[in-house]
Amino acid sequence: MSFHKKTVGRLLVPVALGVAASVAGMALFSQGASAATLSSSSVAKGVSSVTYGGTRGSSKAPITTLKLNPSTIKLGHTLFVENCSSCHGDAAQGTSRAPNLQGLGAATIDFWVSTGRMPLADPTAQAAIKPPRFNRSQTLAIAAYVSSLASGGPPIPQVNLGAASLSAGEGLFSTNCAACHTITGVGDALADGVYAPSLYTATPTQIAEAVRTGPGNMPRFGTSNLSNQQVADIVKYVKYLQNPNDAGGIGLGHVGPVAEGFVGILIGLGALMIAGYWIGGRAH
Amino acid sequence: MNLEPIEWVDDRLGTAKFTRKSLNKIFPDHWSFMLGEIAMYSFFILLGTGVFLTLFFNPSMATTVYHGSYTPLDGHTMSQAYASTLNLSFNVRAGLVMRQMHHWAANVFIAAIVVHLLRVFFTGAFRKPREINWVIGSILLILAIVEGFLGYSLPDDLVSGTGIRIAYSIILSVPIIGSYAASFLFGGQFPGHVIIPRFYSIHILLIPALMAGLLGAHLAIMWHQKHTQFKGKGRTEKNVVGVAMWPAYALQAGGFFFLTAAVIAALGGLFQINPIWLYGPYIPYKVSYAVQPDWYMGWLDGALRLFPSWEITGFGHMIPAVFFPAVLLPGVTFGLLILWPWIERKFTKDYEYHNLLDNPRDNTWRTTIGVAVITFYMVLFFASSTDVLANFFNVSLNLVLWSFRVAVFVVPVITAVIAHKITKEASAVPGAGRPRKAMVIMRSDEGEYTTVESPGRPELELKHQAIHGGEPMELPEEERAHKRELGEPVSVDNEAAFATASPAVVLAEEIGERPSGGTGVFRIPRAAGSGGGLFSPRGSRPNRVDNDEANGKDGDR
Repeated sequence: MSFHKKTVGRLLVPVALGVAASVAGMALFSQGASAATLSSSSVAKGVSSVTYGGTRGSSKAPITTLKLNPSTIKLGHTLFVENCSSCHGDAAQGTSRAPNLQGLGAATIDFWVSTGRMPLADPTAQAAIKPPRFNRSQTLAIAAYVSSLASGGPPIPQVNLGAASLSAGEGLFSTNCAACHTITGVGDALADGVYAPSLYTATPTQIAEAVRTGPGNMPRFGTSNLSNQQVADIVKYVKYLQNPNDAGGIGLGHVGPVAEGFVGILIGLGALMIAGYWIGGRAH
Repeated sequence: MNLEPIEWVDDRLGTAKFTRKSLNKIFPDHWSFMLGEIAMYSFFILLGTGVFLTLFFNPSMATTVYHGSYTPLDGHTMSQAYASTLNLSFNVRAGLVMRQMHHWAANVFIAAIVVHLLRVFFTGAFRKPREINWVIGSILLILAIVEGFLGYSLPDDLVSGTGIRIAYSIILSVPIIGSYAASFLFGGQFPGHVIIPRFYSIHILLIPALMAGLLGAHLAIMWHQKHTQFKGKGRTEKNVVGVAMWPAYALQAGGFFFLTAAVIAALGGLFQINPIWLYGPYIPYKVSYAVQPDWYMGWLDGALRLFPSWEITGFGHMIPAVFFPAVLLPGVTFGLLILWPWIERKFTKDYEYHNLLDNPRDNTWRTTIGVAVITFYMVLFFASSTDVLANFFNVSLNLVLWSFRVAVFVVPVITAVIAHKITKEASAVPGAGRPRKAMVIMRSDEGEYTTVESPGRPELELKHQAIHGGEPMELPEEERAHKRELGEPVSVDNEAAFATASPAVVLAEEIGERPSGGTGVFRIPRAAGSGGGLFSPRGSRPNRVDNDEANGKDGDR
């Protein structure tokens, strides 16, 4: 008889633990739910400072041009000769190894140098994002030098996010950008070693520069494709994607069902199989 | 305690006998037999959370302009389905966690079905007399996959909308009937205005009802045929050794339900799944790169990615390349799956009843084939993430694709050879897989060392038996009828032999003398014969014999 009490007691352990874990789970998910409301309300708070949808909060121009200081051209020339000319030529006229940069505009130079893509680490592969070699004023000096060689090309844009619309940006982003960069902006591999990079480290200026200059395989969107206002809207949405409303717990890298499948099978089913192994009998 | 109501019911339905028998029913206790339970409990959680979701979800493709609390989509035109999913996620209390639990439960549900299926396959539990349950289980798996895809599609977000478009193209690819079938399902051309409501009806009504019915049949047949058990001391083809339904098994299973619920609730609260607000509403001219289906469709997506873009013509018509990986492959897969018990029998010529399970290492060829087939589908599964892998490991997508095209044929062969060698090796080792007894090293007076097997700990053995040793159950009715038909000695002698052979019977008798044994429910002596009745598990004996004889003449054996 005493066996019985022990047996029942032993078998009640999983029941008790399961109930306890369920209650804990409920406590957790009610937190998750309140986190959802919290984060949505924090977004709602953002509305008071900037109005989304249709109207923009600021009457200022959505994109202004950064004026480059002509006195930095000399420094830019020095830096260019030291770091860039071995491939692009002394006057950025291009060589058999690298393209002509004259007339591409300050935005092109700023994008490639400020994202660390230039100087190039591996000329056989797509230029990778690296920690930039130059500081901001050096980068602008190089841009000033190259754009002084020939006119043309887009200038460096400065985005006024206050004049941009987040929801208009979502519509433009999903139409023009998501087909390569994915809808969450995480980026992905395209054909033949080419990839659409993640947008999560880009600054507003770099995003606008990429749209206007079309680096690498990316198409170039001129002012007749996307207005300055629309570019600013896209920039605002990309900045949002860098820190989006991630309600519902730990975000799984925004890569979709691949990561979810691994969590569901390894953590979900895995935990339950361990639980079953613990509760159930074993070979004897 | 007033037991009159129970006796009132018993007087009319004869439930006491059934209850009595049920509470004493023996379940073999092994952790691998609980894999199917994970699936069943996930199904219950899916039903519960699903009902909650229906209260807030609006399955309409009519458009609305969104002005809800998720401001990045403020002012967007979207379907009511998508808008109501946003609302469910952000404005309904616990709505998001319910949605996430529902989705995680679906992922766990199908994963549990698959491992349950693997357990049944590798242990040979599908053999006679359990072929019907194998077929039912296979159909449940197919239904679960379809159900999962439909549920994934309902929010009408950009990613799932792309999935529906792929499904539309797959239906179109079927020769002759494809365009008619697609037009019938979608009410015209893609996307139309009816697909979400139709998916909804199928998702919340048709398939769950089918699954609940089939699950009931699955369990009832298992109950009737008794659960299989692994070979072991005191276990034969004619008995069932394990724990009794009450209290041991009921508490074990009940506890496991709570654990399943706990794990799924924790996943729902801790891990984000399918953040549809980041995907935006589905608009047919928009597409997001890197769209994968949920994991259980991964092998189909992988096959679609790997299949070359051949233009295959037959009877003067081009059959779209999509047809082969997306229609033919699943057709062959599920066809072979359902027919496996008969396919295997063609080769083994094994027409015997099997209530004892094979150990996977004892059946070299089945294990080898199983491992090869699993590997094939695993490679296809991983092929559905070619882009994610290429991006993650920073290699060319084309290289990844071609590696998978080679791997899908090569890797199954490699794993099959390895599995074959291991199973052959393991089955040749006597006592493989059994826990080893401790060895005691002795030194004689002469200085000679010898090793002796330790006697073990008898008191632990006893305790183990007390917990796990139940009363062995009688063999199923059909078996006895069959024996009787063959003129073999049946029942009484055998049963008596079981009764005295197993020490656990002592425990079982003790249960009857417990204080609770004084009620009407528990008073019926266990030895009493079953005389039919509404809830008698034996049914009507003469009919059974007739049926069995009829079956026997059909030459099935």
